[in-house]
Amino acid sequence: MFFSSNKKVDNRIDGFSHLGEGASFEGEIHCKGEIEIAGKVKGNISAKILRILETGKVTGHVNAERVEILGCMLGNTSSLNIHVGEKGVVRGDLRFEENLSVNEGADILGHVQKAKKDKNKKFDSDKIRYLEHNQRAS
Amino acid sequence: MPSVILNDTILKGTLSQKDSITLDGTFIGNITAEEIIVKDHGTINGNLNASVNIEVNGNVVGDLNSDKIHLTSFAKVRGKLSHKNLSVDEGAQLEITAQTRKRISNLNKE
Repeated sequence: MFFSSNKKVDNRIDGFSHLGEGASFEGEIHCKGEIEIAGKVKGNISAKILRILETGKVTGHVNAERVEILGCMLGNTSSLNIHVGEKGVVRGDLRFEENLSVNEGADILGHVQKAKKDKNKKFDSDKIRYLEHNQRAS
Repeated sequence: MPSVILNDTILKGTLSQKDSITLDGTFIGNITAEEIIVKDHGTINGNLNASVNIEVNGNVVGDLNSDKIHLTSFAKVRGKLSHKNLSVDEGAQLEITAQTRKRISNLNKE
């Protein structure tokens, strides 16, 4: 009984990853859950929820479901929801699908665009892949 | 502030950290820090360089370099170890070459 309950805890992840203030990372980050960045990151990030803290600095493209920029973000951001805090600095494009909120004092330089997901495009690419596969097979 | 990387996160690249890092996720690349702790789900493909302590309870393929290295009972390690102080718990699965570094030469001279 004790072991089975342990396994359940393993599958569910409480809390979130945190990249500390003294950290500097170069490369890709893929996170299925939530990640908080207080250090420096150079490279692309994909996550469900990304929070760039006041001491954090991200250089690269970001793809997420929710992005909170309280620090410095250099590069393009595309996400369902974007929030920029009062000390947030953005140099790059913001592309969001649902909500954008910007606090007073935020510093943004770049295009801001609301874009809906092109579901048709996605289907098309799937179709093309399928057709190509068929061609190869034949 | 120490870093914590959870099970749901994959990192590819190089990480340098001024203090401690705890890894429970996947990391491909080299890590430099003061202290590195690899938890049960942690999988690392790359070299670990710590100034104080490395504790491994997960999977590591790569070289480990630290003053103190502790491989706990669930550790799976393959690579070269360079250390002053090594401890291995019962059950650790290892494929390693280990080398103990000499203590600081100044102390010996005095």
